[in-house]
Amino acid sequence: MTDQPIAIRLENVTQRFRVIHERPDTVRELFARFTKSRISYHEFEAVSGVSLEVRKGEIVGLIGRNGSGKSTLLKIVAGVYRPTSGKVNIQGSLAPMIELGAGMHHELTGRENILLNGLLMGYSKEVMRSREQKIIEFADLGDFIDAPVKQYSSGMYMRLAFAVATEVDPDILVVDEILAVGDFNFQEKCLSRLRSFREAGKTILFVSHSMDQIESYCDRAILLEKGKLAVDGTPAEAIKAYIGESSMEEPVLVETPAPRA
Amino acid sequence: MIELFRDTYRYRELIWALALKELKIRYKRSILGFLWALLNPMLLCLVLTVVFSKLMQASKPDFPVFLLSVLLPWTFFSQSLTYAAESIVGNGDLIKKVRVAKLVFPVAAVVSNMINLLLSLIPLVLIVAVMHHPFYWTWLYLPVPIAALAILTLGATFFFAAINVYYRDVSHILQILLQVWFYLTPIIYALEDIHIPPKYQIFFKLNPVVYALNGFRLSVYYGKLPTAESIFASFACAFLALFLGFWIFRRHQHDFVFYV
Repeated sequence: MTDQPIAIRLENVTQRFRVIHERPDTVRELFARFTKSRISYHEFEAVSGVSLEVRKGEIVGLIGRNGSGKSTLLKIVAGVYRPTSGKVNIQGSLAPMIELGAGMHHELTGRENILLNGLLMGYSKEVMRSREQKIIEFADLGDFIDAPVKQYSSGMYMRLAFAVATEVDPDILVVDEILAVGDFNFQEKCLSRLRSFREAGKTILFVSHSMDQIESYCDRAILLEKGKLAVDGTPAEAIKAYIGESSMEEPVLVETPAPRA
Repeated sequence: MIELFRDTYRYRELIWALALKELKIRYKRSILGFLWALLNPMLLCLVLTVVFSKLMQASKPDFPVFLLSVLLPWTFFSQSLTYAAESIVGNGDLIKKVRVAKLVFPVAAVVSNMINLLLSLIPLVLIVAVMHHPFYWTWLYLPVPIAALAILTLGATFFFAAINVYYRDVSHILQILLQVWFYLTPIIYALEDIHIPPKYQIFFKLNPVVYALNGFRLSVYYGKLPTAESIFASFACAFLALFLGFWIFRRHQHDFVFYV
């Protein structure tokens, strides 16, 4: 793998959030600033000083407890967040799957959504038109393709979203736990799609809570602890450290929300 | 500024798709569909004509033409602002999950309302024909005030879209502001017909939409062209608004994701 070019490079990346305790989004905040009364907030570092390199063709799993910064890191890589400090360098086209169906609009038909989603991910109309048939086939929607998406079952919805994200043939795929949803059939379909991605030499960065998936699909795994990179090694090493860590400390509460998530 | 033109060109397909989506959703599930874009101005015009020319005896011949020639572009302006103010917040879910240039949302809001404005010129033509108001050659001049107004509106939408992310009160304030603005702008009256005390004249002189709207009324209703100063003023206001609006928007666009 070491002869491959670098696809993702993070240099000392830190993401700080301002968590405001009071209602944050009214003139009150502005008013408080004028009257010099303090707004109570604390700063919270979701990701601190993470540096890592992923080479082309690597499949890297991200693990860690809730609130350890996995999703934030993924969003930084996907370009959704601009980090507070540090450098991000991405080589190649990237398809984000932070949440399936993020760009879907319920009133639009499946076909219209394919185009809109593709454009949102930065592909041209021409590319999306040429991929349309394949997307429809993978999503297995039949006549529903011209019905508004709100009439879809949740399975159909997810199939369509997954098909759009993967059929556009990105160089890098960023996946946040989407494989936890859907029925067995869908999961199988997704995993086989990811397998073919691997054979095609694509780079995948994915978050999962399923240690089986990490173990069987990843070449490498990264364990995050409180926003810091704790282990970067083989899946077995990272999982071992993760399980060891979990059993030693008491379980963490809930995922700390970003400001007004 | 270069960034604005470059990105607008780069994301033109996305902007167009978003604008069409907005129109589609606006008229979805209504039997008349797109016809509402044509009917709305006609009905509004009917109401205002009855109120102002019949009940209040306003003395303008062909009052509907007098009114619509400015009311239509005003509607474009106020609706664009209303839509665009919500455009970043309303697309918050998207912004949090996909990397996307933020400027596409306000631009798409303006584009979709521009389509509406162009469509609403059809009922204007109909009304002019029905009322036997002459079709002046100065109709050909319309693209110029349309361009000035579009640039001005875009600037204002950038401003309101950006600050609404931080203070949601803005979209409420905007509604009141637009009401006041409507009456302070010569839409239902002509500037030369009213007596403005000298100390308030500054409000009319500083009103940036007046110059562009003036171009519409002159060319459609009076069959005249605006003066060179007025044209210059309309574009000066427009570019100033665009420059300021985009400057604020650009400075904050990477922070939006944390506040939506």
